[in-house]
Amino acid sequence: MSHESQAVINEVSEDSIRKKPSSFKRWSKLLLRSKTGTVGLVIVLFVFLVAVLAPVLAPHDPAAINAANMLKPPFWMEGGSTAHLLGTDNLGRDILSRIIYGSQISLLVGITSVVVAGIIGVTVGLIAGYYGGFIDNALMRLVDSFLAIPTILFALVILSVFGPSVITLIFVLGATNWVNYARLVRGEVLTIKERDFVRAAHSIGVKSNKIITRHLLPNVISSFIVISTLSVATTIILEASLSFLGLGVQPPTVSWGSILSDGRDYLATSWWLATFPGVAITITVLGIIFLGDWLRDVLDPRSKAK
Amino acid sequence: MNNYFVRRILQIIPVLLIISFIVFSLVFVAGDPVALMLPDDASQEDVELLRESLGLNEPFLVQYGTYVANFVQGDFGESYRYGQDAMSVVLERLPATLELAIAALLIALVISIPLGIWSATKQNSGIDLIATGAAVLGKAMPNFWLGIMLILLFSVSLSMFPVSGRGTLAHLVLPSITLGTGIAAEMTRLIRSSMIETLNQDYVRTAKSKGLKNRIVVYKHAFRNSLIPVITITALQTSTLVGGTLITETVFSWPGMGQLLIQAVNTRDMAIVQASVFVIALLVILMNLIADLLYRLLDPRIKYN
Amino acid sequence: MKKVFGLASTLLISAGVLAACGGGEEEPSATNDNGGSEDDRTLTVAMGTDMVTFDVHNHVNTSTEAIHVNMFNYLFKRDNETGEILPDLAEGYEKIDDLTWEVKLKEGVTFHNGEALDSEDVKFTLERVAHDSTLLDHINYNSIKEVEVIDDLTFRIITNAPDPALLNRISRIASSILPSEYIEENGMDHFLENPVGTGPFEFSEWIRDDRVVLEVYEDYFEGQNEEWDEVVFRVIPENSTRVSELLTGGVDLATNIPPSEWERVESNEGTHLSQETSNRTMMLFLRSTEGYPTADPKVRKALDLAIDNKAITDNLLNGAGTPTITRVAPGNFGFAEELYDTYNYDVEEAKKLLAEAGYPDGFELTFHSPRGRYLQDAEVAEMVAGMWSAIGVTANVEFMEWSSFVEMRNAGENEDVFLLALGNSMFDAANALDWYNYERFKGQIDYHNEEVEALLEAAAQNMDPEERAQQYIEAQHLLAEDTAHIVLHQESINVGVSDAIDYSPTMDEIIYVDTITKN
Repeated sequence: MSHESQAVINEVSEDSIRKKPSSFKRWSKLLLRSKTGTVGLVIVLFVFLVAVLAPVLAPHDPAAINAANMLKPPFWMEGGSTAHLLGTDNLGRDILSRIIYGSQISLLVGITSVVVAGIIGVTVGLIAGYYGGFIDNALMRLVDSFLAIPTILFALVILSVFGPSVITLIFVLGATNWVNYARLVRGEVLTIKERDFVRAAHSIGVKSNKIITRHLLPNVISSFIVISTLSVATTIILEASLSFLGLGVQPPTVSWGSILSDGRDYLATSWWLATFPGVAITITVLGIIFLGDWLRDVLDPRSKAK
Repeated sequence: MNNYFVRRILQIIPVLLIISFIVFSLVFVAGDPVALMLPDDASQEDVELLRESLGLNEPFLVQYGTYVANFVQGDFGESYRYGQDAMSVVLERLPATLELAIAALLIALVISIPLGIWSATKQNSGIDLIATGAAVLGKAMPNFWLGIMLILLFSVSLSMFPVSGRGTLAHLVLPSITLGTGIAAEMTRLIRSSMIETLNQDYVRTAKSKGLKNRIVVYKHAFRNSLIPVITITALQTSTLVGGTLITETVFSWPGMGQLLIQAVNTRDMAIVQASVFVIALLVILMNLIADLLYRLLDPRIKYN
Repeated sequence: MKKVFGLASTLLISAGVLAACGGGEEEPSATNDNGGSEDDRTLTVAMGTDMVTFDVHNHVNTSTEAIHVNMFNYLFKRDNETGEILPDLAEGYEKIDDLTWEVKLKEGVTFHNGEALDSEDVKFTLERVAHDSTLLDHINYNSIKEVEVIDDLTFRIITNAPDPALLNRISRIASSILPSEYIEENGMDHFLENPVGTGPFEFSEWIRDDRVVLEVYEDYFEGQNEEWDEVVFRVIPENSTRVSELLTGGVDLATNIPPSEWERVESNEGTHLSQETSNRTMMLFLRSTEGYPTADPKVRKALDLAIDNKAITDNLLNGAGTPTITRVAPGNFGFAEELYDTYNYDVEEAKKLLAEAGYPDGFELTFHSPRGRYLQDAEVAEMVAGMWSAIGVTANVEFMEWSSFVEMRNAGENEDVFLLALGNSMFDAANALDWYNYERFKGQIDYHNEEVEALLEAAAQNMDPEERAQQYIEAQHLLAEDTAHIVLHQESINVGVSDAIDYSPTMDEIIYVDTITKN
């Protein structure tokens, strides 16, 4: 069955790349052809490694308060020392270690919330697109409702009600972002379901849930991957904004957003508190966007941009 | 065509009802504001007494029923904090937010349209890379950080603009740049890819192959046609734009709906939260409806049904 | 298609104009628009939060009162220097018996609308808050039974029970006298939009979350203010923005300057930092409910001994706070001097006490703290947790958004420890020590000390001031011995001031514009 669907797609797509999407060699070739894609992947892998190896890499305990060592500048400035390469914050904590540990939460929140959003959104999109009619109508009104409320506002209300924790944060961001996936997937399903192989499956009496999981799902996954990559970047930034409103992750947990937000009162006096987490966010977002753009160019047959 | 829009407009009603239900439930779960209204050292007994006096012990459905009944009549209840009709408090603040949002949108358009088109025509060149990099940077800088930096640089160090507040045009510059930057970044990317798509359309290719000058092709054919998606792209930013005012207004103490909402959420001023979410949602829905209408008017290829 | 082009170019042009205006000719307005430096008859004050309402009885909020005092008057006012309660609208008072206070009003006081102040206004005002239980400040006035009008300028306040703190009560926030005729004629809603008082400044406008503007009142009964024609209270929630406004001369005064900005305000030419001890005490409330380790006085004592209060005030408050053992601050009735500006710190003793209490290896506790509510609250909590780890106590600090924090406490779901910083607008020990009334925080704190409660009860209706003060002081000593709670320090009030004006903050955190002069 899936063989058949692949054949149909290949017919539709003019892009030769898609013939052997599973071949590692082909993928790496494609990746190397795009400079930005390569840079993106390298950055993302690097950040990922830092997050995983945080306990090994961090020179200090990120939560260790040291009253004698407050607001020390980075090592290359007067008063700085190599014990704290990027300086210390207002409680004498090592900024480098905090950024290293912060990558864990930033990535965790960014990635898992997108997964949550993806699961809800893809399910809703598949159901709405496949069944159509009243179900579609009802679900799409729900989607419209969520779309009409700005994400940050929605998150603000929920987080202030349920209290900010990493888990709530993940679910809130997931529960607000799913609509994008739902709309996208529904649109894709609407076109795919008119294709011959789906009609054929229908006519020979294949059950609906089988059609959805066997035929529709595999065909929407590539669009999903493209926008979810970019969502990870958006979410990392959104988490920082929520920290600004006092509703991001709460200490002793650290994320880049919370370090940045806590450091904002010191921007004029001790710039390093807010600058380094900002740099970490920027580089990571840059990497993710490069990677996402490349994935889009490769995976999305309609985009001919290289 | 008329039918289509009548249907679109009718669809707004269930959407607003769903929104009211979601927000009402959340605020209900949040609990009433009584404990927050009293001083820090109020005891539970003090809280109960006041709660009783204010009639806040009704069950969920009774409260929601009353709420919807009033809501249909355009009554959003009274704000605890202001002791005033919630909707009039919100509407009082709407112009300030609109002023900021429109200025930010203009700045975003001024930056993103040329940048998007330029980088699309020079794909993979140095310019494209710089434009993409700038867009990423604009997107990666959280609003609050950018706002504070702009104040430190342009107000404190260079004394070019006032630090905060609303008043003259000069007051508008820094907050609208702050709010506009993120939007500009997003729009540049969207316009770039929409432009690339147009440039790859058959008629543009044909024009090129006929030997028309590149510049003419770009501006006469591709640019015009990629303007149509710009309308949709712009409308889609409404939600982000309004969401962004929450942060920007706080940084620049801009007396708009964003600040009002944050205060209302923090103080559990349910009526204000309800009324402002309603206004924002309506605004977003209307913007998208107008964009849809314009899109259909401008693009002859789309049929109405 | 042409239409689209037209639209787009209009947008482009207008945006261009907008951008040009900002950088170009509008430039000079950058510094003078907000008052401050240019127009020196206008005083501009930046505050962190907007005022809540003009309903003086319905806000319980110090920064709201900071604005109100300039528009209204109390019957009596407390002298911040001496702590003495002096007549304001009143000429003087006479105690008729334990329940009756006769007060005479000053002659010639008028409201901003021209109406003369009389006893009816006082009756209306005080009875409103004493009788209406929906008003937030009702709990502070329900000891008043009624106000009996004797003549135009004489009236009697009758209390339900002997109330030794009555004068404190009517010289604190929410005691502003309102114009009864004006309100009865136009309704309260009209008053709230167009408030009228007797104060040195009259209402001009209130743009919410932006500014409250007051204008000088020419017929003020103590004479028109000669320094200022206009006072603007601006709302600037973001710390860094508020400081930037001060540094650029946009405002003359900026309240609540966080320690991170002190250096910037001090080192900047033309501004300085002005500090005063506040009446707000930061404390850790320990749960004495049976089953919690903190039910044992030894454990409470150990936790207290492990905290180096001076290190907290030195490092987190740059030396601006004052370590203390009692919540009753100097200047308050019933202040116990020997418990102030001192603290207990002895890590070895703390370890010993813990071992005696059966926790030789320490234990784990949950510590709730609000974040961003009080001066350096989260930082203090983290530092305390760090100090406790030195005696083997692992504190899991849970930071909470204010409303969830309040709800948790009201539901009695708080665990071992929570942090609060409490003020005292009554400036009377009665208010501060009511926390040790067992019934009041049952299920939340459960601290029960019968000896203390007996003292508090006796003091509450004791009309002999000296004996009453002694009772409160004794109660504070008992509480300190028992380590009922851990008292950390008095906070400081930190105001950024332009060198062009002469202002120093007062302990009540109120901004009396009448006392501010130009240099």
